[in-house]
Amino acid sequence: MAQQAQPLPYGVGRTSRTWVAWAVLLAALAIAGWYGWSREITEGMIVTGLRNIGPMGGATWGLDVAFVVYWVGVSFAGITVAALIRLANLTALKPIARMAEALTVIALVLAAFAVMYDLGQPFRGIVNLFHYARPQSPFFGTFTLVISGYLFASLVYLYLDGRADAAELAKVPSRLQWFHRLWAAGYRGTPAERARHDRTAFWLAIAIVPLLVTAHSTLGFVFGLQVGRPGWYSALQAPAFVLLAGVSGVGMLIAIAAVVRRTVPGAELPERVFHWLGTALLILLLAYLYFMVVEILTNLYTGAERERDVTRELLFGDFAPIYWASVACFVVSAALLILRFVRRTAALPLLVAAGVLVNLGAIGKRYLIVVPSQTHGTLLPYGTGSYAPTWVEYIEVIGLFALGALLLALFAKVFPILPLNRATEGGDAA
Amino acid sequence: MRDVARYGMVIDLDRCTGCRGCMESCKIENNTPQGSYWMYVFRFEEGEFPGTKVRFLPRPCQHCDNAPCVKVCPVGARYKREDGLVATDWERCIGCRYCEVACPYGVNTFNWGHPEEHYYGDWNAEDVAPEVRGTVPAWDNPSLDLPYGPEQRHIAGGGHLKGVVDKCTFCVQRVEHDLDPACVQNCPVRALVFGDLDDPESEVSKILQRRPSFRLLEEAGTEPRVHYVGGAPPSAETKQIEPAKAEV
Repeated sequence: MAQQAQPLPYGVGRTSRTWVAWAVLLAALAIAGWYGWSREITEGMIVTGLRNIGPMGGATWGLDVAFVVYWVGVSFAGITVAALIRLANLTALKPIARMAEALTVIALVLAAFAVMYDLGQPFRGIVNLFHYARPQSPFFGTFTLVISGYLFASLVYLYLDGRADAAELAKVPSRLQWFHRLWAAGYRGTPAERARHDRTAFWLAIAIVPLLVTAHSTLGFVFGLQVGRPGWYSALQAPAFVLLAGVSGVGMLIAIAAVVRRTVPGAELPERVFHWLGTALLILLLAYLYFMVVEILTNLYTGAERERDVTRELLFGDFAPIYWASVACFVVSAALLILRFVRRTAALPLLVAAGVLVNLGAIGKRYLIVVPSQTHGTLLPYGTGSYAPTWVEYIEVIGLFALGALLLALFAKVFPILPLNRATEGGDAA
Repeated sequence: MRDVARYGMVIDLDRCTGCRGCMESCKIENNTPQGSYWMYVFRFEEGEFPGTKVRFLPRPCQHCDNAPCVKVCPVGARYKREDGLVATDWERCIGCRYCEVACPYGVNTFNWGHPEEHYYGDWNAEDVAPEVRGTVPAWDNPSLDLPYGPEQRHIAGGGHLKGVVDKCTFCVQRVEHDLDPACVQNCPVRALVFGDLDDPESEVSKILQRRPSFRLLEEAGTEPRVHYVGGAPPSAETKQIEPAKAEV
């Protein structure tokens, strides 16, 4: 124990000065976000740009809800990819399984925060949402299936999947040994243990796939079931939600994998992984663009008066800049992803750019799903409303991004963000 | 025999003069915070000059039988009472405002800030006290804090605390004592009538038997308990003029 043993793989347990500087910056931003929330709690939601629908001419759901939807969407891809890696035995993708699982867990934590930011009585919400839960409400799915069930299943999956690696790390003396011992929980890697583990993880992966479709559909139903909201009421909402969730999540995964490749010592992420993710993103993105066209056509062709009003507002009105910017993000990323097949060189930066762009586009689309129907889609002739977020809402959103990045950075320092390669690892531990 | 009344409202648009007295009386009776109108009166303009026509349309909560807000409430704070009233339990509401986005009529109001106690003026002030002559001020109205109905839940009045949703209660604190809601009581032209829609002898039932009526956004399938006689529902050309100032 006295002599310094072999360093832990992938920079676990060692922090560089740059890492600390980033962590401090991210922590400061996360705290700033919580400060914004504290204003909401003490003064009420009057500090946001939200106001009542109707006589007040506002939107009662805004940026916070858009980001609840966005974060839940991002969480989709992580565990899906991880589960598919196991179910379809995609060996090439195994290196990103761990970070995909971490992304899911972190994104769900951020979504839970965003929900809390949006509640008028957040602390009452924690108790009442469970105490008085009503399955008839589409929100029920958000709190049970998504934020509880899905988060729990993802955590268990992350835990099980990491247990063998934890057992390896626990053999190495370090300040984090206790943590790795705790995670390993007596796992020794005997063939019987390994077989049992694989079996459990396999069945868990099978259970997660239908759970994620149903759970993420409920988020779409939150909007799609509302007959009183033109622009929301559509059977397309739930599947479109799942698709855009996949788009934003895979895009985010590409971006995170690129950062890991650049910053984590010893990380070997073959370009093959990025190409695979890029192709998955392209397929999802094209499907989503198709959905968008179908939706616009349906609403404009014969659509009811208010449906047309909301759609026109998107295409040519107050929301046109955001709408066309989002469309541009999607189209440019699709073009970049296709370009890859034409020109094989320098594909990685293009892929990362596409991953970031689809996320910007997804944020824009989430916002456009939430807001226009409230300000421009009232069925009674209240007239046109407006909504502009205040600094409180912006700082909350920035704080959540920072918190997510910080959690991921911290995770990478206490546990290998890439799965250990067992063949070589066996020698290291000796 | 029937054991419970099933309340509803009939609004005569031929009588309404758009004075908005109902909005005022509602605010005083229910102590709703600034910018909250549980009762709202549209002032409409229709047609091309010089053939323009001005119309009015009072809009309380429609107390729907198939209420979208009741369906979506994740905690059951919004619920349908046996007597037809759609109530909001402000002790249970978590302020998610799902009812507000679900409602096609835009009747829900959220308490954005801390409700102000003396929003209607300080009734103890030297110059105000002689005028109000010891009347119980809205914010001290004890009946707004009491539990109501067989469920004994806190559903009366508004502006109790920040971060919860309120809306028209049909003045449950008055209705349970066989009084008309404040808007009905205060209407100078008796454009609003409140009563038991299940009782064929009630005034509301008799008006509906006698005159053609409509309900707002019937195509949404919400089954409102507020019926309109005279006039017509707002059309695509209907534009609101002079919206009430609703700001916080």
